[in-house]
Amino acid sequence: MNTGHKLKLQPGGRQQEVPAGAPLQDVLFTHGVEFPCGGRGRCKGCRVKMLSGDLPVGPEEINLLTAAELTDGWRLACRHQMAGDLEIELAQWEMPVLGDQSAFNFIPRAGLGVAIDLGTTTIAAQLVDLKNGNVLAVSTALNAQARLGADIMSRIDCALRDGGTELCRLVRAQLGQMVKQLLEQAGATEPVVRVVIVGNSVMHHIFCGLSVAPLATHPFEPEHPGRLQFTAAQLGWPLPGPVSIEFLPCLGGFVGSDVLAGIVATGLQESRDLVALLDLGTNGEVVVGNRDRILCASTAAGPAFEGARIAMGMRAATGAICAVEARAGVLDCRVIGGGEPRGLCGSGLVDAVAAGLDLKMIEPGGRMMVSPAMSLAGSIALMPADVRELQLAKGAIAAGLCILTARLGASPEDVQMLHLAGAFGNYISRASARRIGLLRLPLSRIVPAGNTALHGAKRALFEDPAAWDALAQRVEHVTLNEDPRFHDVYVEEMPFPAHAF
Amino acid sequence: MPDLQTLHDAVVNGDAKSARTITAAALAEGVEPMKLVQEYMMPAMAEVGRRFETNEYFVPELLLAARAMKAALELVRPLLTAQGAQPVGRVAIGTVKGDMHDIGKNLVSAMLEGGGYDIIDLGVNVSPESFVAAVKEKGANIIAMSALLTTTMPSMKITVEALKQAGVRGQVKILIGGAPVTQKYADEIGADGFSESAAGAVAAAKKVVG
Repeated sequence: MNTGHKLKLQPGGRQQEVPAGAPLQDVLFTHGVEFPCGGRGRCKGCRVKMLSGDLPVGPEEINLLTAAELTDGWRLACRHQMAGDLEIELAQWEMPVLGDQSAFNFIPRAGLGVAIDLGTTTIAAQLVDLKNGNVLAVSTALNAQARLGADIMSRIDCALRDGGTELCRLVRAQLGQMVKQLLEQAGATEPVVRVVIVGNSVMHHIFCGLSVAPLATHPFEPEHPGRLQFTAAQLGWPLPGPVSIEFLPCLGGFVGSDVLAGIVATGLQESRDLVALLDLGTNGEVVVGNRDRILCASTAAGPAFEGARIAMGMRAATGAICAVEARAGVLDCRVIGGGEPRGLCGSGLVDAVAAGLDLKMIEPGGRMMVSPAMSLAGSIALMPADVRELQLAKGAIAAGLCILTARLGASPEDVQMLHLAGAFGNYISRASARRIGLLRLPLSRIVPAGNTALHGAKRALFEDPAAWDALAQRVEHVTLNEDPRFHDVYVEEMPFPAHAF
Repeated sequence: MPDLQTLHDAVVNGDAKSARTITAAALAEGVEPMKLVQEYMMPAMAEVGRRFETNEYFVPELLLAARAMKAALELVRPLLTAQGAQPVGRVAIGTVKGDMHDIGKNLVSAMLEGGGYDIIDLGVNVSPESFVAAVKEKGANIIAMSALLTTTMPSMKITVEALKQAGVRGQVKILIGGAPVTQKYADEIGADGFSESAAGAVAAAKKVVG
């Protein structure tokens, strides 16, 4: 084909023929590259380095990249089309998506079920045998909508521009495809009788074809917060026979059924003691409660825990510094995959700041005492502004915990068990989380909880949906900014503890 | 008599407790409230702004310094009011309708207060009508609007229109700011001033009210 160009991706050396003029964004997206700003040239998350070929420098690149970076061949992938043969190195790496393999009690049913955790960034799905609860197949993917914006607000922006039809079409098609793949993977002969999907309010509204406009301004309340049910025909999914496809109910604001599923997965709603659940994604959801009362909130902690807005930040993937320890005054870093360090992920960031505090390279106020940056390993360093990003994020989460516990007449120290959900919860050092003041509980009361959203969705496959609706009704959503104490508590939580516990 | 330079330092270092203690002691010793504000607190906030501009300070320090200044100012303000002291200007500040983000707004409010302005904090989710009322009923001569979301930014334009409709546009200067806001947008909607950061708010206010 003489109208095509050769594209070679490094590392890995994957090669493909690409039609001339194809946007690099679309091509790279199929390889798992993310576009944090939606491909509008506003961030440098999608940057690539030219190894051979030529991509002319544009105005956005002059704004966002340094002269040295430009000379080195760094460009923003979202700004370019295929105009010749090209070999590039990707700054981003595919990351592992957290599955779920935990056990629970259930009542057997006939047929197969599918549980889906529809995240803003990643999707995890499991095919479950409803007779015995066995997981027959697992599938994970990047959310296909991510090409149109990385975070919830940019997704809302996009949906408002075109009424949300494109995002809706994308996600319905992707989930249908994933269900089909699960069945093929398992060689399943029995029919799927039930599909349960969980996700935040924005994912819920987009999937269900509801307007996201009410989520774009105050009071940020979902248009239709309830559980919605679909048939395979309505969604265009290739599933024969009667199948009930349900998106579980939202809790209020941006807090959706993924958190509801997390509550069930951790048994918070049945606990006699005060229990908390933290999901440290972009929204930083916090739940506090027990069998009597449950409060939830999202904290706008920002994406620092996911390595975003950190100068050398990246997701927890090959090449990421995921752990840092101070040994005899020297920093010892662990790199995922064991090779050359390429960046710093959330757990590494928390560790690095904790170590910096212990070594007095960082003051409790957050100021870095070494200049110009704190070197970690290889060419990777922690910058003064990174410490501030973490400070703001941890302040928001800690303040959220504070306000919710206060509303229950308690304090964060009264929490008997704190579940850390999501990938970050599994990798973070609990000792470092305590050192930076994110959590103040004894280590024995902090537990990594895995993918609680997927686990909860799987349980829902076996349960009466009415019980879930009732639980959702019980959970009270708190808008933190509306609490008069929030700003003061937030500022109060800003400094790091002066000493280790 | 406490060393008043320590008040300046307490604000710069974000030490609310000391700022309050020193102020209380100074007032008890009979130091002029206006002297505390003009010679120590205002220069301290200016120093905080300077350090922010030079990347020495970041948002967390701004927040802490603002809190320290507020703690001191709370003791001084009633005395100033009793003396009938005239502020540099009266600012009605708020985060626009639909938007609940108040951290940036609070910072700007603290910087302006540190710059000698009288602040009417309208809070978050402020309707155009409330801004208009602040001009008509409370005599604000500056309106400062903040928005963090692209979805709520249009509320600024609506407020400018509402001020025109109410016939008070000529009495006030309008300042806008927030993450998605640009000078270009300020020009488009006919705002008088714009600041990229909280630290630049005082300069922006001075520019429009002279």
